[in-house]
Amino acid sequence: MKSNDVILQTVANIVLFIILMFSVFLFFNGHHEPGGGFIGGLMTSSALVLLLLAYDLETVKRILPVDFKLVTAAGLLVAVGTGMGSFFFGAPFLSQTYDYFHFPVLGELELATALIFDVGVYLVVVGITLTIIQTIGEDR
Amino acid sequence: MTFQIMINLLMALIWMFMNDAWTFASFISGYAIGVAVLFFLRGFFPQRFYIGWIYAVVKLVFIFLKELILSAVEVVGQILQPKLNIQPGIFAMDIDLHRNWEVTVLSCLITLTPGTLVVDVSPDNQTLYIHAMHLPDIDKAKEDIRNSFEKAIQEVSRT
Repeated sequence: MKSNDVILQTVANIVLFIILMFSVFLFFNGHHEPGGGFIGGLMTSSALVLLLLAYDLETVKRILPVDFKLVTAAGLLVAVGTGMGSFFFGAPFLSQTYDYFHFPVLGELELATALIFDVGVYLVVVGITLTIIQTIGEDR
Repeated sequence: MTFQIMINLLMALIWMFMNDAWTFASFISGYAIGVAVLFFLRGFFPQRFYIGWIYAVVKLVFIFLKELILSAVEVVGQILQPKLNIQPGIFAMDIDLHRNWEVTVLSCLITLTPGTLVVDVSPDNQTLYIHAMHLPDIDKAKEDIRNSFEKAIQEVSRT
């Protein structure tokens, strides 16, 4: 007899978006406050793991047709690319810089190249976590 | 409901545009005028006027708070008694709710009020299996849930 997961699924549909927003918040806070690419990536993965718990593997694959091994590769490429980018300015490998820019609506913002490296970290963490979980989950 | 709220927000935005006043106060005044206009033209919408829906949601929240306090007092009374004279039991209750979120909200409300606890939902979402701490009268317990929570939830989802 299959149990009815209606309560878990309905709550997961709502909580998922809160967790995802929180993970993005953590990701962008990493420069001056606790947070960053690693914890943001883990948060995003945990939101997707909640989906995997509430539904099953096939449903999540249909919602998110992403090959997470490619996500890992893309993240590594971004991280290495930021390191390579410093060569164009005659700086040593993986050196970082930041500056303040003025945007028409948002006002004064600080943009740092470390953020792009953090995007790479974020993608690698999401990719690896979900690859591990999906690989374990498929073995029945 | 959503459509009416969107139109109301749009009216508030237009009001801010016309006055060229980008403040929160001007947004509030525009929204209030939008509510008045929507109330005047409420016959055009297939659904009911959305302020009534908001009132139903607030009423559900207050019913929940009242039940929470009452049942917490009851549980404290049970704990402080030197002798336990409770009759636990599980009963099935047929519900007249159809959407997933309604079943979820009803189950959460029943679970959060101490003394009763949702154990399982039947596969067709039409029966809840509820465990009660003290169950002298099954029909009375069912009626309590019906009159307090289920009616309020039906009021929220009424179109």
